[in-house]
Amino acid sequence: MTTNKIEIKDLTVNYIENKRSFNALNNVSFGVADGEFVSVIGASGCGKSTLLSVLEGLYAPAGGTVQIDGKELHGTGTERGVVFQHYSLFPWMTTKKNIEFGIKQARKDVKRSDRSKIADEYLTKVGLSGFGSKYPSQLSGGMQQRAAIARALAMDTEILLMDEPFSAIDPKNRVILQELLLKLWEGDGSEPRKTVVFVTHDIDEAILLSDKIVVLTAHPGTVNEVVNVPFDRPRRRDELVRTDEYSKFRNRLLSLLYNDIAERIGGDEVVL
Amino acid sequence: MTIKKRYLRIAHILFIALLLIQLLPDQATYPVYTSLLVKFAVGTEIVVLIASALIKKEESLALLVDIAGFLFILLGVWSLVTAKYNYLNPQLFPAPGKIIHQFVVDRDKIWTNVKSSLLTIIKGFVLATAVAVPLGLFIGWSARVGSAATYITKFFSSIPPIVYIPYGIALLPTFKSVSVFVIFLATFWPVFAGTMSGVLGVDKKIIDSAKVLNVGKIETLFKVILPASLQQIFLGCNQGLSVSFILLTSAEMIAAKDGMGYYVKYYSDFGDYTRTITGLLVIGFVVIGVTFLFNKLQNQLLRWKH
Repeated sequence: MTTNKIEIKDLTVNYIENKRSFNALNNVSFGVADGEFVSVIGASGCGKSTLLSVLEGLYAPAGGTVQIDGKELHGTGTERGVVFQHYSLFPWMTTKKNIEFGIKQARKDVKRSDRSKIADEYLTKVGLSGFGSKYPSQLSGGMQQRAAIARALAMDTEILLMDEPFSAIDPKNRVILQELLLKLWEGDGSEPRKTVVFVTHDIDEAILLSDKIVVLTAHPGTVNEVVNVPFDRPRRRDELVRTDEYSKFRNRLLSLLYNDIAERIGGDEVVL
Repeated sequence: MTIKKRYLRIAHILFIALLLIQLLPDQATYPVYTSLLVKFAVGTEIVVLIASALIKKEESLALLVDIAGFLFILLGVWSLVTAKYNYLNPQLFPAPGKIIHQFVVDRDKIWTNVKSSLLTIIKGFVLATAVAVPLGLFIGWSARVGSAATYITKFFSSIPPIVYIPYGIALLPTFKSVSVFVIFLATFWPVFAGTMSGVLGVDKKIIDSAKVLNVGKIETLFKVILPASLQQIFLGCNQGLSVSFILLTSAEMIAAKDGMGYYVKYYSDFGDYTRTITGLLVIGFVVIGVTFLFNKLQNQLLRWKH
C-alpha cells in the first residue's frame, strides 16, 4: 500500500458559535496522493471550509488525525501554501511585496535579492507583470486571486490548499482563472505536480480541475462518496463539456448532492 | 486644463478690486501701512499665478484660487471699514496693513513663541503616541483584557484633560512640563482607544492569512495588526492633535512665560489688540499647517486604502 501525501482519518470537528458547540465534521476519512488534485464539494454549511481550516492548521480537530507525509499535523506551517477566498494578500503591501513576503516566510534559504526575481517571475506566470507595484485594493477581485496564486506558487510548497478561491469572481473571469490554475498545476512535466486540496461548491469547476472529488453531506459533515474523475489530462473545457460522459458524470455528482439535500428538507423539488 | 480654466478666475478680479480700494484716501488717524498691504496682496497674487501655471489637478488649483479670492475680499472689506472710512473703533479693529506691519516687526518674537508652542506639542504628542500605540496593540491583542480596558479607557478619556492643569501644576516642577503632561494625557487616551478598537476590529481573515504564513507573534503584532489598525490609530491621533492645540493655548494663557497663547494673553492684558489679532491669526496658520502636514503623513501611510 502506498502512503498518501495527506491522510485524513476519522476526523471530527466541533465548532463553537455563540457559545454553542455543534458538530461540523463527523468521522471524515480520505487520502490525497502525492501530486493529486482533490476537490471537496458540498452544499454550504457542510463543513468543507472547516475541513480546509484543519488542513491549514487554523483549527484543531476534536477527534481523529491528519497526517502529512506520515507525520501528524500540528498547527500552521509554510510547507502548505494557502489561497483564501478573500484577504490572502495583505492590503498594505504591494502585490510584489506580498509575494516576496510569502517567499521570505516559506523559503528561508532564498536570498533577499533573489526574492524580487522570483516574485517577478511568478507575477509574469499569472499574467500580472507590470502590476507588482499596485496595492491589492487597486486590483480587481480576479487579479487579486491571481496574485494570491502567484504567492502560493512562489512559496514553492508541495501542498496547495485552496478555499473557494474563485467563488467571489464573476463567471467569465472565474473560467479564465480556472484555466490558468489548471495550466500552472499541470505544468510542462519538468517538475512534479503539487498536491492540491481545493474546496468549492461549483461542480463544473471541480470536474475540470480534479483527479478526485470528495462529496460531503451536511449536518454534520460526513463523506458521502469519493469519486474519481474519469477524464484524461490535459483537459480542455470546451471539448470536455460537450461529451455525453461529461453530462453523465456531472449528473451523478449532482444526484449525490441533490439526494442529500432533498432528504433533509423533505421535498422533491430542489433548486441548486 | 485649458488656459481659460487656469487663468480666467474671479480671484484675479478681486485682486484688482483690492488694489483699487487701496487708491482711496486713508481717513484713519493712525499709520495704516497701505503699501505693506499692497505688497502682501501682490505677493499672494504672484503665488497664485505661479501655482496656476504649475498645479496639475484642477480641483487643487480651484481650491487655492478660491481661498486667495476669499482673502482678497476679506482684506478689501476690512480696509474699507478701517483705514478708508474709519467706521470701526481703531483700538479694537486695527487696519489690515497694521496687522501685517506688526507681524513683520514682531517676527522674531513670534517665531520664538511658535517654536516653544510647537516643541511642547510635539513632545507631549510624540511621547503619548509612542506609549499608547504599542500598549494598545498589546492590550487589544490579548482580547480578554481588551474589553475591560475599553471601559477603563472610556472613563479616563471622558475627563476633559484641561482639568488636569491645576493638579499638574502642583505635581510638576515647571510649567512647560505641565503643558507636556496635559498634552500627553489629551493624546494618550484617544490614541490608545483608537489603537485598541483598531486591533479588535482587524478582520479575522487577515490574521488567518498571517497564521498560515507562519508569521511570528511579535512580527504579527507590528507587521500585520499595526498596519491593519492604522486608520483607527490615526483617528485617535487626529483627535488628540486638535485637543492638544486647544489645551496648549489655554494652558499658556493661564501661566506660561512663552508660547502663542502667552503672546495673545499678554498683549490683550495691555489692550494691544493689534498684537492680539496678529497672535490669533498666527495660531490659526500654525494649526492649519500642522494639521495639513499630519494629514499628508496619514495619506502617505494609508495610501494602500484606495
